[in-house]
Amino acid sequence: MPPVIDPDLCSRCGQCVDICSEDVFFGSDEGEVPTVTYPLECIHFSGCVYECPDEAITLRIPLPMLLVYRPTSTGQ
Amino acid sequence: MTEEVIEADVLCVGGGIAGLMAAIRAGESGATVVVVEKGNARYSGCGRSGNDHFEAYIPEVHGPDIDGFIEELLKTAKGEILLGRNIFQTQFARAFGIVKLWDEWGIPMKYQGGWEFAGHSFPGRTMTHIKYEGRFQKEVLIKQAKDRGVVILDRVMVVDLLRQGDRVIGALGVHTREEKILLFKAKAVILATGKCSRLYPSLTPGWMFNDPHGGVQSGDGRAMAYRAGVELQNVEMPQRHIGPKYFVKFGQASWIGVVKDPQGEPAGDFVQKPDRRHGDMILEVNKLIAEEYHAAGKGPLYMDCTDISEEDYEYMMHWMEHEGNISLLDHMREEGIDIRRHPIEFSTYPLRAGGLIVANEKAETNLEGLYSAGDESYGDISAAATFGWIAGENAALASQETKSCDIEVERAKIDEMGNSIEQLRMRSQGPDWMETNIALQQVMSDYAGMVRNEALLEQGLNHLKRIREKARGELIARNTHELWRCLEVINLLEIGELLFLMALDRKETRGLHRRPDFPETDPMLDKAHVVHLIDGTPRIEWRSYQGGE
Ligand SMILES: Cc1cc2nc3c(=O)[nH]c(=O)nc-3n(C[C@H](O)[C@H](O)[C@H](O)COP(=O)(O)OP(=O)(O)OC[C@H]3O[C@@H](n4cnc5c(N)ncnc54)[C@H](O)[C@@H]3O)c2cc1C
Ligand code: SF4
Repeated sequence: MPPVIDPDLCSRCGQCVDICSEDVFFGSDEGEVPTVTYPLECIHFSGCVYECPDEAITLRIPLPMLLVYRPTSTGQ
Repeated sequence: MTEEVIEADVLCVGGGIAGLMAAIRAGESGATVVVVEKGNARYSGCGRSGNDHFEAYIPEVHGPDIDGFIEELLKTAKGEILLGRNIFQTQFARAFGIVKLWDEWGIPMKYQGGWEFAGHSFPGRTMTHIKYEGRFQKEVLIKQAKDRGVVILDRVMVVDLLRQGDRVIGALGVHTREEKILLFKAKAVILATGKCSRLYPSLTPGWMFNDPHGGVQSGDGRAMAYRAGVELQNVEMPQRHIGPKYFVKFGQASWIGVVKDPQGEPAGDFVQKPDRRHGDMILEVNKLIAEEYHAAGKGPLYMDCTDISEEDYEYMMHWMEHEGNISLLDHMREEGIDIRRHPIEFSTYPLRAGGLIVANEKAETNLEGLYSAGDESYGDISAAATFGWIAGENAALASQETKSCDIEVERAKIDEMGNSIEQLRMRSQGPDWMETNIALQQVMSDYAGMVRNEALLEQGLNHLKRIREKARGELIARNTHELWRCLEVINLLEIGELLFLMALDRKETRGLHRRPDFPETDPMLDKAHVVHLIDGTPRIEWRSYQGGE
C-alpha cells in the first residue's frame, strides 16, 4: 500500500485525490478520507506526501523496491 | 457516454514541459489555447517533481563556436540520439533564451548568482549542462500559461487525432473519471505526450510502476500519430539507464561519488575521488556497466560517495531534491542509509522503448496542422522546453491562416471509438489492462530484448499478434479508470508490433539493437528508419535524417 493516510490527521480536503496523475485514489468520496484504490499504480515520487496540508500521508516503500546498499565502504 | 465539443486555435496534447511551453508561446502569440492533460498538470510528466540539469550553449561562457559545443555534447549519451544536425543547431541557438525566460519567471536557473555547470561532462572538457532548481518548475509554467489565457483541462486522455484529408483538424479524448467523450476542434494540434513506458518490464517484476517516467506516459502520442499517418522513426532502437538498485530513479549525473567494485577499485578512470563538477562519467559512457560486472562475476557495482566532503554532500543533497529524487532521499533517511557511510548499489535498468515522431526543426510533422515536441520527438528538459516553445510559435502562426473545420467529417471514427469504449465497459469477463500489459511486457523482453534474431523476432511478432487479437475482442474495463488504462495498453500493443516489424527490418547491429545474425553495423544504414501507415498497412523506409546529416 504505497501511500498510507493517517485518518486522525487527514482533514478530508481531497488534495491528494486531485493531484495524483496516476489516479491512485480513484473513486474516493468527497469529504471522506481518500481511498488508496490502486496502490500498484503508485510511482513513488511523493507528490501527495508533500502536497498534503495536514502531513497525513507517508509512502510505504514496497519490499521489492527497497534500496540496496552496503553496510561498509567498498574495499573493506 | 456523453459528448462535449471544445474549440481552440491551438490544442496541446499533454501538460508536461513541452506542452506547457508550447501553450505559453501560442497563448502570447494571440491564439486561444487548450492544454489537455491525462493526469493533473501540476504533477504530471517527467518534470513533475523536478529536474536539475539544463543543457545550454551560452555564448558568453562557451565562446562563438556553437558547432564545437554540439560536437562536445554528441560525445556524451546525447550522441545516441539519431537526428539531423540542424535539430541540435536550432535547439542550442534558442535554449539560452529559454533559460533566461525561466529564470525571469521564477525557476531559479542560477546558483549563488552565476551559471553553475556540473555533470554530464568529461573532466577537462567543455561543460554543457547548467544546474537549475526545477522542483517547482511546473507550478511556475502553469501560472505563466494561465496568465496568457491558456485553459488547462486535467483528467482527459486524448485517444486519436481527427483529420480532414492530409490535415489535422482536432482530436478525440475520454474523461478519466466521468463517462464522457471529448471532441476537440482545433486549427493546429501539438503532440507532447512524452515517453513510452510500460512496454518492457520494470526492474522489479510484479511492480511495473517502479518507473521514474511514470505510468501515464504510455506512448499515446506516437500511437495516435501513427494511426493518423505520421512518420515514426527508430521505434526498434531501445534505451537503457543506470541508477540506484530497486528504487528506480533517474539523475545519475547528480550523484557525487566514484563507481567502484566490491574491492574498492574504480570501474572507470574518469575520477578517483568524488568530484562535484563531473560526477563519474563512466555511467554516461557505459550504462551497461553494472550488468556487465554482474555477468562477469565482478559485481555488485556501487556508487561510492563515502569520500565525499561535507560541503559536497550538502551540494549533492540540494540538487537531488530538485532532481525529482525527494522520495528516494526520504527512503534513505527512514532506512538509516547514509551515502557518507554506505555505498549504494547501482543497476543497469531494463530496456525501454525508444523511437520518436518525426518532426523538423520547426516541430512540424508530415501532416499539416500537426506538431510534435519533447520526449515525443526529441527530449530532455532543454529540448522539450525549446521545441515546445517553437511548436507553440509555429502552431499559433499557422492557426491565423487556417479556417477551423467541421469535425463531423470524422463522425464515423468518433462513433467507432464510442462503440469500442462501450464494449470495453460492458464485458464482464476477460483480461483486464494489467493482465494484458504483463503479457505484452513478457513478449517484448523475451523476443525483442537484448538479443534479437530473425527467428526470435518472427516468433515474438506472431505471439504479440495473438495477444493483440484477444485484447481486441476480450479486454474489460470495470470503471473509467480501467478504461483509460485499457486505451493505454491498446496503444502499447500497437507500438510493440511496430517495434517487432522495424527490428526485423533493421538487418544490422547498432547500439542496443543487437542482432547476432547480422553482427556488424552497416554504415549504409546510418539513416532514419521510418515507418508510416499507408492504406492500412505499415510501410518501412530508410531516409536521410530529418533536417539533413
Ligand atoms: C526523475 C527524472 C529526472 C530527470 N532529470 C532530467 C534533468 O535533470 N535534465 C534533463 O534534461 N532531463 C531530465 N529528465 C528528462 C526530462 O524530464 C524529460 O525529457 C522532459 O520532462 C520531457 O518533457 P515532455 O514535455 O516531452 O514530457 P513530459 O514532461 O513527460 O510530459 C508528457 C505529458 O503528457 C501527458 N500525457 C501523456 N499521454 C497523454 C494523453 N494521451 N492525453 C493527454 N495527456 C497525455 C502526461 O501526463 C504528461 O504530463 C529527467 C526525467 C526524470 C523522470
Ligand atoms: S506518490 Fe505520486 S503516484 Fe504515488 S499516490 Fe502519491 S501522488 Fe500518486
